[in-house]
Amino acid sequence: MKGLKMFDTVDDVEKRLLDQGYICGKNIATIVYLASKLKKPVLVEGPAGVGKTELAKVVAQALNQKLLRLQCYEGLDESKALYEWEYSKQLLYTQMLRDKIGEVIKGTTTLRDAAEKIGEQDDVFFSERFVVPRPLMTAITSEEPVLLLIDEVDKSDPEFEAFLLEVLSDFTVSIPEIGTIHAKHIPLVFLTSNDAREMTDALKRRCLHLYIDFPEEAQELEILRMKVPGIDDRLAQDLVELIQRIRGLDLKKAPSISETLDWARALMVLNADKLDEAMVSDTLNIILKHQGDIAKAQTELSKLLQQKAAAAKAEQPQQVDPPVEKKSILH
Amino acid sequence: MERKILEFTNLLRKAGVRVSVAEGIDAFNALDELSLDERDVFKDALRTTMVKRSDDIPTYDRLFDLFWSGFHDALREQMEQALGGMGADFDLEDLLENLRQALENMDVDLSDFAQAMLSVDINQLEQLIREAGEGAGVANIQNMLQIGFFSRRIMEQLDFEGAGGQLRELMDQLRASGMSEEELGELGQLMGAIQDAVRRSVRRFTELELDQRNHDYLERFRRESLQEKSFYNLTEEDVRKMRELVNRLAQKLKSIVSMRRKRQRRGKFDLKHTMRRNMAHGGIPFELVFRQKRKEKPKLIVLCDISSSVSNVSRFFMQFAYSLQDTFTKIRSYVFVAELGEVTQLFRDNDIYEALDQALDGGDVINPYTRSNFGMAFHIFWRDFLSTVDSRTTVVVIGDARNNYNDAKAWCVREIQKKARNLIWINPESPGAWGFGDSVMDKYLPYCDVAEECRNLKQLSRLVDHLIIR
Repeated sequence: MKGLKMFDTVDDVEKRLLDQGYICGKNIATIVYLASKLKKPVLVEGPAGVGKTELAKVVAQALNQKLLRLQCYEGLDESKALYEWEYSKQLLYTQMLRDKIGEVIKGTTTLRDAAEKIGEQDDVFFSERFVVPRPLMTAITSEEPVLLLIDEVDKSDPEFEAFLLEVLSDFTVSIPEIGTIHAKHIPLVFLTSNDAREMTDALKRRCLHLYIDFPEEAQELEILRMKVPGIDDRLAQDLVELIQRIRGLDLKKAPSISETLDWARALMVLNADKLDEAMVSDTLNIILKHQGDIAKAQTELSKLLQQKAAAAKAEQPQQVDPPVEKKSILH
Repeated sequence: MERKILEFTNLLRKAGVRVSVAEGIDAFNALDELSLDERDVFKDALRTTMVKRSDDIPTYDRLFDLFWSGFHDALREQMEQALGGMGADFDLEDLLENLRQALENMDVDLSDFAQAMLSVDINQLEQLIREAGEGAGVANIQNMLQIGFFSRRIMEQLDFEGAGGQLRELMDQLRASGMSEEELGELGQLMGAIQDAVRRSVRRFTELELDQRNHDYLERFRRESLQEKSFYNLTEEDVRKMRELVNRLAQKLKSIVSMRRKRQRRGKFDLKHTMRRNMAHGGIPFELVFRQKRKEKPKLIVLCDISSSVSNVSRFFMQFAYSLQDTFTKIRSYVFVAELGEVTQLFRDNDIYEALDQALDGGDVINPYTRSNFGMAFHIFWRDFLSTVDSRTTVVVIGDARNNYNDAKAWCVREIQKKARNLIWINPESPGAWGFGDSVMDKYLPYCDVAEECRNLKQLSRLVDHLIIR
């Protein structure tokens, strides 16, 4: 399966991501476009659940490239990220060599000659045959362009970060016994971070930086409509409005987009067609995961519903046309 | 354009955003790939290449607006105002169209600037004013007093008076060519308004130039001075800003601590596990396993004086302590003025800031409106809570030891120190004042493993780093 062609313009990015069901703002599109043009990795930061990992996945789909994912965690090291020697195979090989050693040194008379003969075979031992490639190396040596996702890079150790630098700046891997391997294609790289730890400047310098925040109300509504088809219009609006309000509170963990979607789906299952206090109270634990947060959100919720009721009452008697906006005559 | 971007890069650096040379080059490369018609795309491209910390994004946004769009918006606003003052039945398009026709068969000599005013071309005007600003050397502006001077220089560069004369001449010619008085009146009024608008905009332009140069200093000055500002003179506004700052410092400490711990944790070679791990390789030890030292997390007990004189130190220390919760096995916190009460539960149940506010209010366990009595507080702690102290516990006392001439009961502190790993006293007063007046610090001093002065955030964060979490 060959990869599709790269993005042409910023708008092209936006469109192709939308085709994959990912609504992104202009800024995300701009940065993805730049990353593909400048061949630079993108460091994606932002709160949990705003679609950082998802972005990498849809870009891979949009370009029809294979996605290689490297999940970072504490203690992740080269042997799990880059390459490893296949010890058991080498061991087997050594044993084979032991049996064959007689054949190899046959015909030699002195010790020096024998050592020379064995020395000739030596290179085979540390050759690419025994290297097990891990995601980073796979990405670099791949015959087709791939997309590399280094997920939650903030969870990795600082030492690992230092070693990522070589890979990300030159797209080369040095294996001491074999030499330096250069990338056949420079892969598009996404690194995601939840800001558990500040990444070093050296790493940041090599990356483009993308900060994804919670979406604006209109955009969230759009996402909701796309991902939860069949949702009642009114319900969707109320839901997003409430979520936006809740995010404004001082919470331990603000609800993210994925939680908005979960909530919407849950309400659909419960056959809700509008937000009423009882229903919301019962389902608040879908979007909020701390008891203290839930209590706070509940007070906010009753405030909002009261306001709504008051507004609905005031609105009913007469419908006022919105004032016609004066067109700006300046250019 | 390139100069402009370099200048902007410099501005970012001055504002404390770290932009390396390589990143500057990236920015140029990025701009090559894009069409720059859209301001937002331009803004994102610059940001993604140069600003890599999410904390810096607000600064970037502010500076960007100031630098790239501040003047444009100001000029637009002025011009809109000028046009808005023209009365309800004024039709600009109409007037301009008539004017254009009239000018076609006339031979008038107008400067670029006069033409831009006449055609109400904002972009052209902006361009001309910026050029004039460069010619006038407005980049050298240093203080408010020079605004008038540089504004005048820019007006001279624009040849503002000359353009006015040219417009007056044009009016005369138009009158001679038979333009209606009504239209001439409108045109005259419009030109007058636009000239006023330009005059105001030039001044605004100069002010913005000054702002750009000052913005960074002010911002950084504020932050730095906040770190060194004495806890005694904090305003409420300061306290709110400090919260943010403490948070950031705590984050920083956290990552340092985890790194430090990890390095220390690697212990001796572990034969048993090495053998187990390498069974797959026929018992040949390819991978070595090292025993890990047990994590030695300290237990922390904090005794906070919450009388008004010390409450700020207590507040920030507690914020530190609870931001670094993971670093300790357990934190127990007590507050006192005269009586002493435990507020650990408060922090467990509430959001840290709410808990802080409540704790500093006495947290329902003590009466905060009494006079300080350290002796009594220590005695209560010794009587009721001494069992919570063990050999892995660090006890931190925060207070000024101003005892209002009560019994100091220093022996309680001695007993506490005996059981604890160490006892640290944080005093917001300088050592010179210890033991003078009603201060009984000298009596407690022999039983403190460390006693330090701490009057501002800088000292506090250093203290936390060196003493508490190490």
